[in-house]
Amino acid sequence: MARTISMVEAINDALHIAMETDPDVIVLGEDIAGGGGRTDDGIEDAWGGIFGATRGLIGKFGTDRVLDTPISEMGFMGTAVGAAATGLRPVAELMFMDFLGVALDPLLNQASKLKYMFGGKARVPLTVRTSMGAGRRAAAQHSQTLYNITTAIPGLKTVIPSTPGDAKGLLLAAIRDDNPVIFCEPKSLMRSTGEVPEGDYEIPLGEAVVRRTGENVTLVGMGRTVLTALEAAEQLAGEGVAAEVLDLRTLQPLDEEAILSSLRKTGHLVVIDEATPRCGIASDVAALCVDRGFDFLDAPVKKVTAPHTPVPFSPALEDTFLPTTERIVDAVREMG
Amino acid sequence: MPTPIVMPRLGMTMTEGTVVEWPHEVGATVEQGEPVLIIESDKSEIEVEASATGKLAHIYVEPADVVPCGTLLGVLLAEDETDFDADVFQADWVVEIDEGEGSDAPAPAPAPALVRTAAASFPRTGDRVPVTPRARARARELDVDPTGIPGSGPGGRIKEADVDAWVRSRAACVEVAPGISLEVPTVGSGDPVLLLPGFGTDISAFAAQTPALAESFLVRGVNPRGIGVSDAPEAERYDIATLASDAATLIKNPAHIVATSLGTAVAIELALTQPDKVRSLSLLAPLVDVGPRLDSVSRAWCEVAALGDIGALSRSLLPWFFGTATLADDVRRERIARGLPATLSRARADALPRTRAGLVAWAGSRTDELSRLTKPTLVVVAEEDLLTPNGAAIAAAIPDARLVSVPGAGHAVGLEAPEAVNEAILAHLASS
Repeated sequence: MARTISMVEAINDALHIAMETDPDVIVLGEDIAGGGGRTDDGIEDAWGGIFGATRGLIGKFGTDRVLDTPISEMGFMGTAVGAAATGLRPVAELMFMDFLGVALDPLLNQASKLKYMFGGKARVPLTVRTSMGAGRRAAAQHSQTLYNITTAIPGLKTVIPSTPGDAKGLLLAAIRDDNPVIFCEPKSLMRSTGEVPEGDYEIPLGEAVVRRTGENVTLVGMGRTVLTALEAAEQLAGEGVAAEVLDLRTLQPLDEEAILSSLRKTGHLVVIDEATPRCGIASDVAALCVDRGFDFLDAPVKKVTAPHTPVPFSPALEDTFLPTTERIVDAVREMG
Repeated sequence: MPTPIVMPRLGMTMTEGTVVEWPHEVGATVEQGEPVLIIESDKSEIEVEASATGKLAHIYVEPADVVPCGTLLGVLLAEDETDFDADVFQADWVVEIDEGEGSDAPAPAPAPALVRTAAASFPRTGDRVPVTPRARARARELDVDPTGIPGSGPGGRIKEADVDAWVRSRAACVEVAPGISLEVPTVGSGDPVLLLPGFGTDISAFAAQTPALAESFLVRGVNPRGIGVSDAPEAERYDIATLASDAATLIKNPAHIVATSLGTAVAIELALTQPDKVRSLSLLAPLVDVGPRLDSVSRAWCEVAALGDIGALSRSLLPWFFGTATLADDVRRERIARGLPATLSRARADALPRTRAGLVAWAGSRTDELSRLTKPTLVVVAEEDLLTPNGAAIAAAIPDARLVSVPGAGHAVGLEAPEAVNEAILAHLASS
């Protein structure tokens, strides 16, 4: 059975299942109980974080396992890393990925390193849930896409779902993974709905999925850009071009074989990334194609990304900042 | 005589088909008109009827195999035929190709571009040829040199599909001289018609004539040396006599020759030197000389083509090809002009001067011999033809030549006034 629910409801579902099935799972972060509202029996549970992803957890699992923390990212992230290293399986919520800067050291120098520095004897089964991405008129400090930073840190895994069903399965896999995982939640997709299977299931980290098959060109997307790529594929179909849409789902580990296998078939590849273009996933995928897929290339690899600027606050500018179907279709046309 | 069973070409766009089933076993007798083979093309199954009664002697291509049109699939033998060697017959198949019904040779398919924005064009002379890695890998696999073939990508970049199209087209070429093979797309069935295009164009110059002719004739278009995938041997010039000899090699049974512009020089040369090969002549915008305008325009043509800008070449040639009424009518001009770059891009820029030199060397050499032409001849002149304005005089010099004058049309009369031209040619062929 499956229900049609939103991505945020799917995430909430996964958190409930993770906490039910493993007493070591704890949840912590700012405002995750929500805005000071209280139920009749005095439990904070009014909202459940700014998107409502943690709704119902504190009432069900209590304040020992659901920690509404003070506003100090460095504080709760350090707590979470320490808790993970000492045996718990924490899920920390970093409200906006833009706040990564003030929570970076525990991730960059502790969580990602401990397993290696202690010869594999230490493990950090930490999951950091964080909302990211533009398109919500939230301006330059609350709209960034920074998964390229976490992907670049060895020892961290980085995940980004594009559908509610994937969000649930990937989050359960992330929580149960013994390595620190950054789980990116695209803000613009939080209210998007889709079929989500009932019950407990995991989607393995490191496996991309083909969302639409085609013979002529591969469109590689992640998170929101998967949907943009699917729209572009539909438009291209009207021009007689069969586009294949590949959803990466996990940025580290990267499913290189899925990318190369699709490129081998189509000979043409566009990678669509809403992050800024320098040192990013799009460049990484393009480099992979040139390095390991050179003989498959029947045209240059095209990158459709945001420009190398902060996210603009002007709605008109923000709309042009994000990759659009038109830019994808144009990129395919340029390949000839 | 053995009756070949070939992959038929059902329409100009069909390039290959799948063998689905042989309803009869080898050795079985098949009646004329009975289905001898079932093929599939464009997702529909088609029964191929036996064109003669005979014993199914050999099957060359098994079910599920996909082969180009014109491929020899099987052979029917009459009951009294015993001296038949299947391997020899297959080896000789290219030679047998113009022997009448069912012997269509495959035509090259256009290179399928991802998003087609321009026709495949030959690289500019002297340029480093952009070849995609995938095309290079494919060329290595097929053991061909990818440089110098027409590229359909942006800026003429050579893509995998271009390599495939080139190899497919080359496989369908017919050898006319040692080491020289020509692309000879064929369509239709019936008495043979040979199309000889003008300077710097391929047989798509006859695009408006081919379907009408193919209804009643076996139409074979000759892309001469330096055009399309035909060979372009190094030479100071391609003499008209050589081009005529190339054409003659392709003719087994006397053919109706339909030619335009430079092609008429080849046709006249052919009819004078090997009259047995010619059943009739249809000469559109004919020439026996190179006037000052043709001299000057063809020189500029070579130079602009060498720059590699087919669009500019096409626009420059428009006023020389079409009449004033067409040029003044935006819709009509654009419709006619749209196909011109594709036609012009089929000429190799490095070979154009050789063809021009051959024409210039030939010019005037046969002017006084037109009276020796004895085959039924149609001359179509365009009243606004600036490049070859002496058509009426040519018609007058050829005994009993029929003259049709098309008002309001320019040099490319076959493209510009297809109704009048087709009517004249069909009437001429019917009476010849």
